[in-house]
Amino acid sequence: MKFGNLVLAGLVTGSIYAVFAVCVAVWYRVCNILNLAVGDFAMVGALGVDNLYRVKGLPLPVAIATTLIVVGAFAYAYDQVVLRIAQDGPRRSEGIVVTFFFTFALSFFIDGVAKMLFGTDVHAAPALWNGQSLTFASLHLERAGLLVLLCAIVIGGAFWVYIRYTLGGKALEASGENSIGARIVGIDTRRYRRLIFVATALIAAVFGIVESPITGYTYLSGATISLTGFLAAAYGGFRKPGRALLAGLFIGVLEALLGGYVSAEYGDTVLYAILAAMVLAWPRGLGFESAVSG
Amino acid sequence: MMTSMAGTVSRTRSLSSTALVVIVGAIIVLVYGQQYAGSVFILSACYAIVTAGMAVQIGFSQQIAFSQSVFMGVGAYGVALLNTHYNMPVLVATPVVMIGAALAALLLGSVVTRASGLALAVATLMLPLIAVGYVSSAGYLGGVVGAPLSGTLWPSSSTAAIAVGGGLVVIAFLGIAMFVASRILSSDIGLELFVLGVDERTAAAMGVRTPRRKLELFVLGCVFAALGGAAYAGTQQFVPETLVDPTAELALLIMLFIGGRRSILGAVVGALVIQYLQGASNWVSVNILVVEGVLLTVVLLVDPEGLAGIVNTGVAWLRARRAGEAAPSRRGEWPIQLAIGRWMGHSSGKETVDGAAQPGADGAPRDAGADGAVVAAAGFAAGGARVEVAAGAAHAGVPLLECRAIGKEYGGLTVLDDVTLALPDRGLFGLCGPNGAGKTTLLNVIGGSVPPSRGQVLLDGEDITRRPPQERFHQGISRTFQAVHLVKGRTVLDNVAVSCLASHNSSIVSRVGRSRLAEAREKAAQTLTDLGMQRLKDREVSSLTLENQRMVELARALAPSPRLLLLDEPASGLSEEQRRRLADLLRQVGDRTCVLLIEHDLELVAQVSSRIFVLSSGRLVFDGGPSDFRASPVVNSLLVGL
Repeated sequence: MKFGNLVLAGLVTGSIYAVFAVCVAVWYRVCNILNLAVGDFAMVGALGVDNLYRVKGLPLPVAIATTLIVVGAFAYAYDQVVLRIAQDGPRRSEGIVVTFFFTFALSFFIDGVAKMLFGTDVHAAPALWNGQSLTFASLHLERAGLLVLLCAIVIGGAFWVYIRYTLGGKALEASGENSIGARIVGIDTRRYRRLIFVATALIAAVFGIVESPITGYTYLSGATISLTGFLAAAYGGFRKPGRALLAGLFIGVLEALLGGYVSAEYGDTVLYAILAAMVLAWPRGLGFESAVSG
Repeated sequence: MMTSMAGTVSRTRSLSSTALVVIVGAIIVLVYGQQYAGSVFILSACYAIVTAGMAVQIGFSQQIAFSQSVFMGVGAYGVALLNTHYNMPVLVATPVVMIGAALAALLLGSVVTRASGLALAVATLMLPLIAVGYVSSAGYLGGVVGAPLSGTLWPSSSTAAIAVGGGLVVIAFLGIAMFVASRILSSDIGLELFVLGVDERTAAAMGVRTPRRKLELFVLGCVFAALGGAAYAGTQQFVPETLVDPTAELALLIMLFIGGRRSILGAVVGALVIQYLQGASNWVSVNILVVEGVLLTVVLLVDPEGLAGIVNTGVAWLRARRAGEAAPSRRGEWPIQLAIGRWMGHSSGKETVDGAAQPGADGAPRDAGADGAVVAAAGFAAGGARVEVAAGAAHAGVPLLECRAIGKEYGGLTVLDDVTLALPDRGLFGLCGPNGAGKTTLLNVIGGSVPPSRGQVLLDGEDITRRPPQERFHQGISRTFQAVHLVKGRTVLDNVAVSCLASHNSSIVSRVGRSRLAEAREKAAQTLTDLGMQRLKDREVSSLTLENQRMVELARALAPSPRLLLLDEPASGLSEEQRRRLADLLRQVGDRTCVLLIEHDLELVAQVSSRIFVLSSGRLVFDGGPSDFRASPVVNSLLVGL
């Protein structure tokens, strides 16, 4: 049953990547910016709740609510101050500067502040569902792992329904396709940019709170999560949340299998080599538009 | 004269910034080399060597590859291994490692640089992840502990000499790196790279051998990084595992963007400032992430070109203030008067880029403008005969361009269906059709930017179906685009010079020596003068009106004296008066060369063309002279709506 357990573990890790990939993909679809800070919001969620609950002694629900409010307010303020000047100001930044570097700077900033506030040790939010790990036949699954899987399904499904079946979802698509055209027909593209940015920040924070008991976070964990989410989003063609979700799961399972069967030491190295080879083999098929130039 | 001056000025200015950094750096090392501050400065100089390469590769040419930290590691670990295990002095190991890095980069680059844009970024993003995974488990590299060196960059028995000597060597390396980088950027290849960065497709259409340039850039970035890594290892005497990880890569990018991605001096200053602050202040060192995050955000908000951009804007503002001028306005721009006759006279005597054969060279009898169209209308026989006399490149009877049964599908959608046409070596040919008929696709198939699904394209009877656009440019095919594709941020002169470059066969390294940018600019200036556009020469292109932008694009297409000129709706957006002038020019161009013109203005097409093709839903539905065109029921029902 090694295979079954590896796949299961891979699905749990993969669903983490998948959720962040979906967050990156949806926001990229709205405003053509790759959010490289999404994982850092997860880290703030996990470490923030841990700090308020364990160190400051607040009750758990209060700690969670406070953390989420802070994350939401910060994301809102960031959009109002920085993104508004960058995208809507008189000197609109373009190309790679916006695509990559603004949220990249944000990621550095959040990590730095987290280091000041939470220190450099590994911490985690308290487990939301205590107890022994669940066993079906000879398959083992931690309770937090099950929560992570459920969260991923709910979040992925909600985005899918929103984009596919609601008017808001169509407007969101239009904003990214052609921002000026969308504005002409009365879509407030800025509102969608802000809405999705704040929403994905909150989703990431919630996810960090749920997931952190499994892996434990440091102030630098966010960057790693963002990176893998970004990669999964890349394999989903950046704009397609559904494919990003599948790509995230695929990467998670592949990682677990390589670690279990090939080499625990070099498993990740092989994984990244395979991923790089895939980009180079099918750049078109995987949907890499030349979003960088111009 | 003016143009060659401009070339020289920017080259000397870039050299003076190199000299400035070397002199100031050497003084700092000599005075403070033995103190802590001096050692921090030397460390930052190691990083500056890397960012100088990044300015060329990532900032200027916009080839985002996350390979710098890995190759910094290659340089540092390579030197450490050679020094510790083989007792090779660091100064000897450095060039050995650089050659090794160049070879490795050549191999790796020949795979990864096939990707462009985001694919290149994502594929190379794996490199630091792979490298850090490998290094941390590789025992002979010291694993997570790191690799020590037994020797130093400047071997000596006194610690003072080690510090100061090593520092001076690093400054010398930095000087060399800046010199090489700025010589390349200020040369004609620098112009190629700028276009490549803005728009790879335009670059290819203008003859830039983009795959080669992208590979060269990758290797250059890697070699600079390896040199920086070697300097790091030699001065720090220790190589930590963290040198190659993704955070190190991101930190390098931040240095580049804070300093100014398109400026060598900016990139160097960015590295010096960030690295120096980190070493000099404990608070900054502990909170470096916050500092970098805030600095990068503020700098990008104020000016996406970084500190260098801010300084440049400031200097320009001060100058404007001193001269009592307002910001540059559109004052004084009025439609240029095309001086057609002079263009004819001059450019027929000019030499061509890369020796492309030129029809209508001196000595060939030229018809007066009036009967040019008549001759062209006479058809293939006359045209072919003239090719023999004038260019000597084609055989009699062989058309200049032939499309044989071209078909193109996108998914299930048929865009071109069995299109066959042939054009002689001169004359003006119209291509009409309703929107979505496949006109632009056909032009792209001929120009080489879109491969056909079926059929062949022949030039002088030679099959060029599989040739990339840049090779077709060198064979004499030149084009304009439906939407104006000019290179923003450059002057009109440079935009025209893009198509006059003689550098396409030269390597990037050759431009450390002699630049031939001045020649290209001279040729471009001549073309502009001949077209009566010299007044616009020094204007930045995005400040021009649409008409003038179209004219600049036309000038760019005409400057290399093409044999086949592909024009995609050159008259769209122009006024009646402007169209008339354009028509006059086109007629005369058609006397000397073959022009395929896509146009919606049927009257304009009928006036200037000797023969007109009409496409509908990808099929050729009409092929005939202007009088048949006016009378044709097919044309009338399809295009006029009668």
